[in-house]
Amino acid sequence: MTQRFSCTTCASADKTLECFVADLPLETSFHRVESQEIKCGFGLQGVCCRLCANGPCRITPDSPKGVCGANADTIVGRNFLRSVAAGSGCYIHVIENTARNLKNTAIAKGELKGKKALERLCGMLDISGTDEWDKAEKIADAVLADLYKPLFEEMSLTKNMSYEPRYKRWQELGILPGGAKSEIVAGVVKSSTNLNSDPVDMLLHCMRLGISTGIFGLTLTNLLNDALMGEPEIRMASVGLRVIDPEYINIMVTGHQHSMIAYLQECLTDEAIVKKAQEAGAKGIKLVGCTCVGQDLQVRGAHCTGFYDGHAGNNFTSEAILATGAIDVVLTEFNCTLPGIEPICDALQIKQICIDTIAKKANAQTVDYSFDEREKATAFILDEVIATYKSRRSQVPLNMLPEHGNDNTLTGLSEASLKGFLGDTWQPLIDLIVSGQIKGLAAVVGCSNLTGEGHDVLTVKLTQELIKKDILVLTAGCSSGGIENCGLMSPEAAELAGPQLKAVCQALGIPPVLNFGPCLAIGRLEIIAMEVAQALNIDIPQLPLVLSAPQWLEEQALADGAFGLALGLPVHLGLPPFVTGSPIAVQVLCKDMLELTGGQILINGDAAESANLLEDIIIQKRKGLGLS
Amino acid sequence: MKRILIDSSKCAGCKNCSIACMQARRPDGSVYDIDLTSPQHESRNTILINAQKQCKPLFCRHCSNPACVKSCMSGAMVKSPETGHVGYDPEKCAECFMCVMNCPFGVLKPDRATGTYVVKCDFCADHNSEPQCVKNCPTGAIRVEEVEQ
Repeated sequence: MTQRFSCTTCASADKTLECFVADLPLETSFHRVESQEIKCGFGLQGVCCRLCANGPCRITPDSPKGVCGANADTIVGRNFLRSVAAGSGCYIHVIENTARNLKNTAIAKGELKGKKALERLCGMLDISGTDEWDKAEKIADAVLADLYKPLFEEMSLTKNMSYEPRYKRWQELGILPGGAKSEIVAGVVKSSTNLNSDPVDMLLHCMRLGISTGIFGLTLTNLLNDALMGEPEIRMASVGLRVIDPEYINIMVTGHQHSMIAYLQECLTDEAIVKKAQEAGAKGIKLVGCTCVGQDLQVRGAHCTGFYDGHAGNNFTSEAILATGAIDVVLTEFNCTLPGIEPICDALQIKQICIDTIAKKANAQTVDYSFDEREKATAFILDEVIATYKSRRSQVPLNMLPEHGNDNTLTGLSEASLKGFLGDTWQPLIDLIVSGQIKGLAAVVGCSNLTGEGHDVLTVKLTQELIKKDILVLTAGCSSGGIENCGLMSPEAAELAGPQLKAVCQALGIPPVLNFGPCLAIGRLEIIAMEVAQALNIDIPQLPLVLSAPQWLEEQALADGAFGLALGLPVHLGLPPFVTGSPIAVQVLCKDMLELTGGQILINGDAAESANLLEDIIIQKRKGLGLS
Repeated sequence: MKRILIDSSKCAGCKNCSIACMQARRPDGSVYDIDLTSPQHESRNTILINAQKQCKPLFCRHCSNPACVKSCMSGAMVKSPETGHVGYDPEKCAECFMCVMNCPFGVLKPDRATGTYVVKCDFCADHNSEPQCVKNCPTGAIRVEEVEQ
């Protein structure tokens, strides 16, 4: 019998997972929550400044200014802008690689699986070409050219990709972004030592970063991936730790860049590779989904048959997935890859391979996975994968959890597949909203964290409260991973919805929570918002639509939130984003933004209270549209 | 009776004890929304740096033979025979601040906002005598221990 690592672990909304982690003989993030329980109050308020050697300076009644003279507003403004710039940088790295992969595939006349997505992109970006590869290359070039523009030159695709009334508002506010990379550099420079001290200017810079992140990092990443990797198709899928089949050699993928494994994923079903795997004693090689790239594989599951078993769990489920012993290799191309997996990988002889040096893990082997080297690199990786399986499987005991998750999660949702499901028009959804059968829409997006009541607790409770109020929930990000494993994305979950929404779900055979997959899919939700607003001839802030990142975790989520604010949406957060030390930041983000973009930040860590707040806003917006 | 004991070698100077103290005196809200610039929320403790550049947490010791109580002529400062804690009643205080002058640790001070009362630790009487500074110290530099009077 194995010994529990410790007696106190973090709670989870997912009780099966919580019990599994509590019994593990290995240390996970769940075990470390208690020892990190004491938080620094200055950090929580965002008023610790360590931008220079005079610091760290903190704000107290006896020391209301830093040595340089910066007050709480300036310190918070700089810290917040730095975070949003870093978050934007993450997503811009993702779109840059995605565009490069699309371009290189086009030049090599490789397979483009999403013909419709390619045509849609051509329409959206006013691009024509002689054949699909010519079009794809031009699309990729247009995206890359925009990313590299200087700060003073507006990105040319912003207008194509924006809803007209929004574009106009952004123009009036002077927050249309220049080149996406230049905006990030400007954000980092502004917030450096003794440069910008104007908190409002820095918060408005966050809006510029929100727009470039949203349109390029989120929306375009999805569409480019769809063109290259295939369009999402609505289907049922298995989710949770049950998807791991120990009879296969298993590669757990983590990251956000589906196109990085385009070549590798196809090789997994190659006859020669399968034969090699069988000679090693396995049935073949499969990918096990974890974090957002797992969601991307799941949403494109129709194009991933034979090598993808399903999405096992979100960011903070990764350690548990490894602890099953049935994962042989972790293949990392980006975040969210917790440093905490490293000792687990060591203990269970799991090999870590990293194919993007940006996400280099301490114990991982970096493989040069450039497009030109993809065949050689893939062959090397698969040899390593098979060798690792052979050397470790007889030595590492399995600890499977087949009861975790479910086999009937609805997936494959995108702006296009949902519209297709509705008959190529948003009218049925609009009719349901108008009649009140669907009171409104809530996008429950973003990460999972282990604060508050625990892993996914607020996310799942809030979702339950919202559907009870006949509010249809749409998800994107690690929230999807948590909610699906708790069963709310299965058609049977209609029983948990309010009477009106329940009837709609039952009539259509859908769950009350629609899973759009990775955090990148916040961009898909933006397209839906834009198209529905367009159909109604109103602006996005008028829609009965709210955004919530109840358990936001990281800087990327702050950049997503900035996009939500720029779109004019109410953005609910379970915990403040380290800004409450500044009265100006609080005033601008929570109140004045309503006058600027129409958006606002709402902070509440209680599920029932938050659901009431969001419902009130939806009711208000309905009234604004003349709906009861 | 219980006392706060200090191991200054463990103090990292993070001042979390000060924020915890500021929050402990508020009727509502959380650490997120204390106005850190307002003297209204003055902390009862502080951290000083000595000549050797070491952190020295400064807390009311609720002394066995308290100089503040001995020097108080109005009866505002009283040592409780049950708990051993030194209590302060601002209603009785004559604002002579002799306690401030006599405190051997220099921890007592007149309040910054009005200068009309003494800022004094009450061992978190409103928190079941569980000092919030101790609860929020990340390094264990301060701890509560049962001691002989």
